[in-house]
Amino acid sequence: MIASILPSISPGTLLAGGITAAAASLWLLLPSGRSGAADRTARWLGWLLGIVALAGFLATGHRLGSVGEEAVFLTVALVAVISGAATVVSRSPVYAAIWFAMALAGVSGVLLVLGGQFLGVATIVVYAGAILVMFLFVLMLAQPAGLAPYDRVSTEPLLAAVAGAVLLGILSLSIGRLTAEPPACCLMGGTKAALLADSATTEPPAAAATGIDMLADNHVARLGGELFGRHLLAVEVAGVLLLAALIGSIAIVSRGAADAEPAAARRAVP
Amino acid sequence: MNALSPSTLLVLVPLLPLVGAILTVALGRVLGARAHLPAVAGIAAAFVVAVMLLFGMAREVGVGTTGHDHAAKPVEMVTTLWEWAVVGDAAAAGDAGSAAQLFSIPVALRLDPLTATLLVIITGVGLLVAIYSIGYMHGDPGYPRFFALVSAFVFSMSMLVAASNFLLVYVFWEAVGACSYLLIGFWFTKPEAAKAAKKAFLVNRIGDFGLAVATFLLWMTYGTLNFHDTTLADGTLMPGILGATRLADASAYVGGAVGTAICLLFLLAACGKSAQLPLHVWLPDAMEGPTPASSLIHAATMVTAGIYLVARTAPLFEACPGALTLVSIVGATTALVAALIGTVQNDLKRVLAYSTISQLGYMFASLGTGTLLGFTAAIFHLVTHAFFKALLFMGAGSVMHSMGGVIDMRRFGGLRRIMPITAATFLVGSLALAGVAPFAGFFSKDEILASLHSRGWPDAHGEHLEAAPAGGHANAAATFHLAFHTASVTPDAAQLAGGARGSALDALNTPATWRILFWMSLVTAALTAFYTFRAVFMTFTGPTRVPEEAGHHAHESPPSMTIPLVILAALSAVSGWWLFSTHSLASFLASTPSFTAPSVASTATPPAFHWDLAIQGTLAAAIGIVVAALGHLGRRSDGPQMERFLGPLETLFANRFFFDQIYSALIVKPLELIATLAALIDRRVIDGLVDAIARVPAGLGTVVRHLQSGLMQRYALAGVIGTLLIVLALVARAMG
Amino acid sequence: MNLLANTVAPSALVIDGLVVGAILFALGLVGILARRNLIVMFLCAELMLQGISVSLVSWSRHHGDWGGHVLVIFVLTVAACEAAVALVFVLQAFARTGRLDSAAWQSLRESNLPRTIDRELPAIDTVPPKFPKLAPAGVEPAADEDALHEREHV
Repeated sequence: MIASILPSISPGTLLAGGITAAAASLWLLLPSGRSGAADRTARWLGWLLGIVALAGFLATGHRLGSVGEEAVFLTVALVAVISGAATVVSRSPVYAAIWFAMALAGVSGVLLVLGGQFLGVATIVVYAGAILVMFLFVLMLAQPAGLAPYDRVSTEPLLAAVAGAVLLGILSLSIGRLTAEPPACCLMGGTKAALLADSATTEPPAAAATGIDMLADNHVARLGGELFGRHLLAVEVAGVLLLAALIGSIAIVSRGAADAEPAAARRAVP
Repeated sequence: MNALSPSTLLVLVPLLPLVGAILTVALGRVLGARAHLPAVAGIAAAFVVAVMLLFGMAREVGVGTTGHDHAAKPVEMVTTLWEWAVVGDAAAAGDAGSAAQLFSIPVALRLDPLTATLLVIITGVGLLVAIYSIGYMHGDPGYPRFFALVSAFVFSMSMLVAASNFLLVYVFWEAVGACSYLLIGFWFTKPEAAKAAKKAFLVNRIGDFGLAVATFLLWMTYGTLNFHDTTLADGTLMPGILGATRLADASAYVGGAVGTAICLLFLLAACGKSAQLPLHVWLPDAMEGPTPASSLIHAATMVTAGIYLVARTAPLFEACPGALTLVSIVGATTALVAALIGTVQNDLKRVLAYSTISQLGYMFASLGTGTLLGFTAAIFHLVTHAFFKALLFMGAGSVMHSMGGVIDMRRFGGLRRIMPITAATFLVGSLALAGVAPFAGFFSKDEILASLHSRGWPDAHGEHLEAAPAGGHANAAATFHLAFHTASVTPDAAQLAGGARGSALDALNTPATWRILFWMSLVTAALTAFYTFRAVFMTFTGPTRVPEEAGHHAHESPPSMTIPLVILAALSAVSGWWLFSTHSLASFLASTPSFTAPSVASTATPPAFHWDLAIQGTLAAAIGIVVAALGHLGRRSDGPQMERFLGPLETLFANRFFFDQIYSALIVKPLELIATLAALIDRRVIDGLVDAIARVPAGLGTVVRHLQSGLMQRYALAGVIGTLLIVLALVARAMG
Repeated sequence: MNLLANTVAPSALVIDGLVVGAILFALGLVGILARRNLIVMFLCAELMLQGISVSLVSWSRHHGDWGGHVLVIFVLTVAACEAAVALVFVLQAFARTGRLDSAAWQSLRESNLPRTIDRELPAIDTVPPKFPKLAPAGVEPAADEDALHEREHV
């Protein structure tokens, strides 16, 4: 719908413009040591450019099967992306963590839309419930009072933004080429015509072709069967890894506490 | 002639002194005061062998049995010991058709009349000097070292005159130079001695350079360095530079620029070794060495190496008359200048040193005439000079020995009462040097004057020279000349030297030049007599005075020193007359291959005693002696006679014509300036350039170093950018 | 007109998922490169992992395979381990320097280079909080010696 407003601009230009706007937006939004009015102006400009960039991306987008599905996907995707950006640019690490929680919510929504019910929930539970809380605990332990100087500046913000933009450009290009030339793997188990016929639907074509229906009932049971069937050994290894990380963390903390005692005197905030 | 073959005997001559030297070095510490034994025994045995060779060679040549008025045939014997260096395969060289380019250095010894004569002189004088040194060097801490060096010198010098290859000549030319260096610097703790040794070495390097370049030119010009003809592996005959094949061919020697260059380089080498102008400055300083060494090396033998070299390469010089004339000019000038300097020296050894330079100049003047008479006269004078100059040096050494090391003539007088044998033998030597009638120097000097005279006034000797192209068959009628008539200048005088092929130097070759040279020589003769007898009178006559260094035991030297003096005195007295009257040496030497080249042999003249020249020479000597007697006889030797007599000239002579100062100003100072400049350039420009280049990477490093900031996020950024660049390149390739 | 949607093998939803994953990954990358706070850097790393997860699930949907899902589960595991260990390190680092600054460690620099020091930052123009002035609410009570004594023996 936005695309119809801008009929004369080619999608390549739109994408390039969007990516450039995103890079500029990030550069402006990243902490730069400015203060006062200049900082506020830069932030406003940055958010504005961010909106422009998102508009550009949306303009290159396409319609999903139904308006409802599209609305849902767009909502969760926007939540994920905007919260992610806010995570990156937040001055305060606490805010960053909160924004990261929002991003996690968006991501879990995207995962749900993509058919990963279990993963969507697991992400919320594991990340937001466990990992993020750990982060916040650490912040409580370690964050000095007020806004630290190192939170107000960035390392090479421009170069970092450009690097990110280039990466995004490369990824977009290769994703765009996927649509033009389906890789050979996508043709396995079905004719090209069948695949082409399915292309506009929300049904996963390969799923239909191979008979595995991820969106069917017993989703979690199937995933568990897969996990504890084919990937049993990997699960065991992952368990050992978790145990090792646990023991390692405790060991480092207990040893480091002894070492850190003499350094406690130096703990003055610059 | 005896059980041992001549070639074995020839090898023994250098070998025995070498063994003596090695034994002295090895056993010197054990033998202690008897360290002279191996050296003396080795040199004595070598002397015996050399005498045997000389007589064998004389029999071969047939001295006295055949007449002198036919062309002498070359006599030589070459012994190739081993091939020292062979470059290139003989067969391959033959296939390529360039056998002449095969480079091989045979260690070949030769025996011919010239070599035989010189071997006897070297080993004979060497033996006498060695015996003399037993007394002279007694108690010196370096006693074994001295004898080892003397023995090594006799070995090197024998090899030098016996070598049949220019490279070997060069090698032993350097070897005698090294022995000379070591003997001059024998008392190396004495700064003057070390300095003198260094000076001698450096000045000799200039001459050695000439010899080296001359050797290269010879190789490039003639394709071989051998004197003798050699037969290659494929049977072809390779004519040696002084071999029979080339000698027979009058046009086989290169003249022109290349030939002149070779000859001038040889002359440079000879000037260095024989202390001729302008390279003579080292010899007077070389008197810092032990007197026996001065006697052997810097009077009798080594300094005559230059004479030997020019005489040996006579055919090469004959092809370049200009160079030959220059030899004479250098010789006569040196003779005159050195004699002038000698007149004001107060150091007895230095008087003799300048005398040596002067006499060597005589020999060069004689060689330069390019006639057979000139060459044989030079060798003749070499022989007699070896006797009387060795005698004089040893006499000076004897005086020095008993005067506690003092050699300044002004500090002693009337020594004939203290050391009669030394005085008598010194007088004999002086008479011989001055050229007084029956003594050796008279005859040899007469021949030299005759050879110069024959070039200056060709008409007087014309009947022989005009017939020369026919091979010297002129009759022997003219034995008496009156040289006081004027002669017209022959316009084609240059051709007298034979085979003139053009060189700028040839313009010098006019009778006028030779006349000047002749008169210079005559003046030199008078000066020689003067300074010699000045020394005699100052030292041995007048009131008896002994320097306090001598203490109360001023006495005649021990027999080991006086016996060689007596022997040499006897030789100085009679050898000249004997060798001249029998004409044995001249006819013997005429069979030397180098002197049988047509260009030399054609100038042969019958033996003659030139009364006119003899009278002139004797007159000159008499004038010199009389003036010396007027000035010094019976007076205290420390009077200011010379200063009064010469006036301002005395300063010039006493300062040796300012040669050392001129060299210092012209060569040493500019070189030091250039060196300073070069050092400055090196330090500022070259080093600056190098430093500038070195600063480029350092500067780049300074720029790039800031990337290495230690901030890990920058490192991560660099890693990401690098990865993205690689991915971009891959994408671009996939899309392109 | 539509860059990503003509005759595509992957469905539009998959493509959109991939794009969202790419955006999240790029955002995380920028954050990790630019932000100085160690904890924020780790949050950005987690953000990148989220982008990867979205991509994996998209591909899983495309292939109709469980592989992507399984991988995401392992990503979760590894992320948990990483967070545990990394946060311990962060705590240790803070214990040593009193800061969460990634620029506090610069030992890996050229030996003769000076340490990189931040330029002086302008002051934050925040209004200092105004606390209400209250009247003193009484006097400090005198300590009851007996009660203290008693407490010591409890």
